[in-house]
Amino acid sequence: MSALLDKKEGAEHLLMGNEAIARGALEAGAKVAAGYPGTPSSEIIESLAGVAKETNMYVEWSVNEKVAMEVAAAASFAELRSLCVMKQNGVNVASDFLLHLAGSGTRGGMVLVPCDDPGALSSINEGESRFFARTVEIPLLEPGDFQEAKDMTKWAFELSEELKQLVMLRSVTRLSHASGNVKFGTLPTEESTARFRCDGFILDPDEGVVISAPVDYKHSQQHEKLKRAKEIFEDSPFNTYEGPDKPELLIITSSACTLYSREAISILGLKDRVGLLKMGTTWPLPPKLLTRYLSLTEKILIVEEVLPFLEENVKVIAAETASEIGIKKFYGKNDDTIPMVGELNPDHVINAIAKILEIDYLPRPEEYSAKTQGLAFFGAPQRELIFCPGCPHRASFWSIHNALELDGRKGFVCGDIGCYTMALLPTGFTTLKTVHAMGSGSGLASGFGKLGQFGLDQPVLAVCGDSTFFHSAIPALINARHHKSDFTLVVLDNSGTAMTGFQPHPGLKVNAMGDNVPDLDIAELCRAMGARVEIRDPFELEETRETLNELMEDKEGLKVLILRQICGLSPEKKAGKKYEMAINEEICLGENCGCNRVCTRIFRCPGLVWDKEKQVTRLDEVICTGCGVCADICPAGAITRKEAV
Amino acid sequence: MAGTQLPNDPYNIIITGVGGQGNVMASRVLANMLVKKGYYVTIGETFGASQRGGSVMSHLRISKKDTWSPQIPKGKAHMIVALEPTEAIRVLADYGNPDVKVVSNTRPIHPAGVLAGDLAYPALEETKKTARGISSEAWFIDATDEALKLGNPILGNIIMLGALSGLDDLPLDKEDFREVIAKSIPQNKIDINLKAFDLGRELLKQ
Amino acid sequence: MKIFGPNELLEEVINKNLCIGCGACIHLCPYFRSYKGKTAMLFPCTLEEGRCFAYCPKIEVNLDELSQQYFGRYYEGGPLGNYLSIHTAKAGPKVEKASFQAGGTVSALMSFALAKGHIDAAVLTDKEGILPVPRVITDADEVLQCSSSKYSASPTLSALNQAMTDEYKKIGVVATPCQVLSVAQMRMNPLEKEDFTDSVALVVGLFCTWAIDFRAFAPFISERVDITTITKVDIPPPPSEIMEVYMGEEKIEIPLNEIRELVPETCSYCIDMTSEFSDISVGVLEGRPDLNTLIIRTERGQKIVNESVKEGYLILHDIPEENLEHLMWAAGNKKKRAFVKAKEEGMINTEGDKKSYLRLQSKTVDEITG
Repeated sequence: MSALLDKKEGAEHLLMGNEAIARGALEAGAKVAAGYPGTPSSEIIESLAGVAKETNMYVEWSVNEKVAMEVAAAASFAELRSLCVMKQNGVNVASDFLLHLAGSGTRGGMVLVPCDDPGALSSINEGESRFFARTVEIPLLEPGDFQEAKDMTKWAFELSEELKQLVMLRSVTRLSHASGNVKFGTLPTEESTARFRCDGFILDPDEGVVISAPVDYKHSQQHEKLKRAKEIFEDSPFNTYEGPDKPELLIITSSACTLYSREAISILGLKDRVGLLKMGTTWPLPPKLLTRYLSLTEKILIVEEVLPFLEENVKVIAAETASEIGIKKFYGKNDDTIPMVGELNPDHVINAIAKILEIDYLPRPEEYSAKTQGLAFFGAPQRELIFCPGCPHRASFWSIHNALELDGRKGFVCGDIGCYTMALLPTGFTTLKTVHAMGSGSGLASGFGKLGQFGLDQPVLAVCGDSTFFHSAIPALINARHHKSDFTLVVLDNSGTAMTGFQPHPGLKVNAMGDNVPDLDIAELCRAMGARVEIRDPFELEETRETLNELMEDKEGLKVLILRQICGLSPEKKAGKKYEMAINEEICLGENCGCNRVCTRIFRCPGLVWDKEKQVTRLDEVICTGCGVCADICPAGAITRKEAV
Repeated sequence: MAGTQLPNDPYNIIITGVGGQGNVMASRVLANMLVKKGYYVTIGETFGASQRGGSVMSHLRISKKDTWSPQIPKGKAHMIVALEPTEAIRVLADYGNPDVKVVSNTRPIHPAGVLAGDLAYPALEETKKTARGISSEAWFIDATDEALKLGNPILGNIIMLGALSGLDDLPLDKEDFREVIAKSIPQNKIDINLKAFDLGRELLKQ
Repeated sequence: MKIFGPNELLEEVINKNLCIGCGACIHLCPYFRSYKGKTAMLFPCTLEEGRCFAYCPKIEVNLDELSQQYFGRYYEGGPLGNYLSIHTAKAGPKVEKASFQAGGTVSALMSFALAKGHIDAAVLTDKEGILPVPRVITDADEVLQCSSSKYSASPTLSALNQAMTDEYKKIGVVATPCQVLSVAQMRMNPLEKEDFTDSVALVVGLFCTWAIDFRAFAPFISERVDITTITKVDIPPPPSEIMEVYMGEEKIEIPLNEIRELVPETCSYCIDMTSEFSDISVGVLEGRPDLNTLIIRTERGQKIVNESVKEGYLILHDIPEENLEHLMWAAGNKKKRAFVKAKEEGMINTEGDKKSYLRLQSKTVDEITG
């Protein structure tokens, strides 16, 4: 039984931040949860999906974040409590609906949980979701540790219901994916009934029409809600202060930075000199509370990631109350005390405090540091990101790369988001030439495909995964077909949303909760658009390459090549090898003219190891997954495959 | 069996390896064992992209009184458990100090650059020498090789945990271990895991 | 012979548009491939010396070394190169009267050689539509499938490279002058491999003035006809100045000066019209669309010709004086034009780091360029 279902009040468990949020939603009696896979948020929906049957919840991996938010909103309008989960960029995708939802208000408590990725540990941006709360004018909460992740999520539903407004609870990688002790509360026992009341007076928040118009009225309502939130936040137990009554330096912080700041103060031994004001309610900021603490001292350090959101909001209050509290000296991002870019850690805060208070700090003896830096360079060779052994993308990009070289017209590939984004790197033969947001590869290709009018004679290709296809490639493809744009889309169909942990999507017959559901066929959808569609197995290298060249030479608008082969990490693949591979060292040409180690130097599957002493390639049987593709790239025929029993 | 006093509070452990080795599982087991003994534990980890052949670290903070940051400050590790030998060196560079202890597996996982013949991978003897030169003590265990003898390479992580328990720096009981893993693995696999745990303690003593 | 590697091949030949697409560097390894007439390097290779560079007929060709190897003398620059005798020829009664062009001499020689076991495989050029496609033929009856003339360069030597990997021991090849030059280099084992054996038993060289760039020709011809209906392409011998394109019974004629604009620049550096390093060279006979000119160059070439005549595969006659004179004049002109251009552009006998196209005695260069 999942630890999340533990009914014992006060039970203590080690939970990931995401699991704590999920538990908070369960304690609040949330009934509907929707999201789209995105690191670092995915475990929230996954954990809830895992207990959906026992708790009578509906949990959905929606096709994209906008629809996820709409699905959750519907539940709220029908008086159920609902949760909507995504990574930072997901909020951008959902933002149009978000704006209007903030205007229309909600009914059953609804909480939006964006999990940001400062430092882009699993993203290609470190964008911020917090500003959306200010821009669309909804309350924003930021838990500072694992216990708060649970407690604040539960409270967020109550707050949402009181205000009849969506509440944003923002987490970050170092909370979502970190784990800590969490004491449980109680799980609700009452059942919930869904009912959408909409026949009442048009402006009635409980029984009227759910809409953000008339705008001046509804917008004023939003402001009243924010005012009420401010009042509530003045007394919130999630805004805490620890430190001396008259600190020399006041640190104002939120989110995971709370833990870094606390640790920094401890390491420097400055508990008696530095105060820590941790804000859990970061929009709207409670002005009285802030004024009180700002008055304590002249030096204020604001620690947050990534952009100076808290910093600038605090500075506004400081400016407004300057006559009362005096002139302050602020330290933070805008003066480079804290780096503007990247994620934070305790050392950043230590260095900031040390600089402000003019303290020397040396984490360890200097000779030690000097010694280890040098040793690490040779002692620990860099690990580049690579496709897993047996990954169909390696084979797909081998063929795409070669088809482009043979074509010879300097064609290029617009990339998209997924494991295959790594085709920017040598593991994918540096094939991708642009990567932006979900579905953008197809959108850009739709644009490039119209530039023949201006002399662009380079073949245009785009790639996207099966999950990305449903998320946002479809409108771009319709655009391309309708506007007669000339490009070839390669759909890398590995039957799952692999990069984020193999979640299902509309192309599969199963959903988040493990139920059987109808699947949608990518090929049929593309044919319905009027595209020319071909389907191939990427492990058939020559056939795939030939088809690609043919499609690049076909001038007729939109072409779609679906390369279908299951992800190497999927349960089916992991169950057993298709082939037993073997390498004949006598035949292997190694570095000689005729080969020059194409398998280890170029193809780079980790199952193939270059033996410098013997000057041949060896097979690593533990790592090899038996996909068989390398047998087709060996020019000497030294690699052979035999069907596994 | 150790007392309930930690050598340091917070006690900082880094479990490091290569994506896909079972770092996460090892850190969970270790953390849950300590939570059972009443400690506050924070684990800091990253998933996702780093798994695809990249280096991974789990930072564990163990404390009697407080919840600490999921990232250990530079130079402040007390113990490094390395599932792959060169990862020990990489972690020591940023988080090591003259007092740190190291328990490391010996089985190499070659980075793609080494497999491709572009980079050199240090010989084990060199790695041992390097590690011993920048730590107070370093133990090297053939965890994967022994695990293969037991029938499954993933048992290597359990052997490493057993070895860690053998150091007596932390209160790590076999009984706690059994209770923790019983919650997540099938009944018929418990014995082999216990065997691996014991084997780890044995190997450390050698 | 100076040998460098694939990066030099890329820099000095392919990127300078000197590559004719002969196929010599293709299928030796995973890196060079040909597609629709163009040679591409799929991935970088780090070797400093490679067979690809050594075999290439457009870079570091030591004409003196080659002449010494095959003819026992320095390169003398004669218009037709070294030879034993010249005749006119046509296919004999033993050869099925199929759709060959001109006299059918090449088809005759190759059918004979395969049928009688002088070769165990024939490397020929077939076509798919108007795209030439290299093939390895082992059945004498299939030789005639490849009997039409091709006017764009074919990477035929890629099939020779594959035939050698497939371990045929006596391979016959029909090749253009640039390809024949390449085969001559190949047979000398330039990289001095210990396990090398010369498996080329017969080289039949063709006459060639220029080839057309396929990737320019395809769109050019598509503007005039439906490219999928073309059954045959022919350039009749001088004095004709047209290209004939047949779509079954129908045909159109295109003035040769329009076709000449589709000739790649690399052909203007070619010094050899009659495949001077072959065993036997075969080409058109001016004024006689039903016959070929046949040049016998080597002893083994002589043997093949003698026996094929004896077995009824080939019919020989004397070559009329004025044909021979005109052939020498034409071949000599091509050679001189190319030498002059190459010399002016500093591509002969270079020194230091600069890679040379040709190496030979300077006095010979002076003689040829006049």
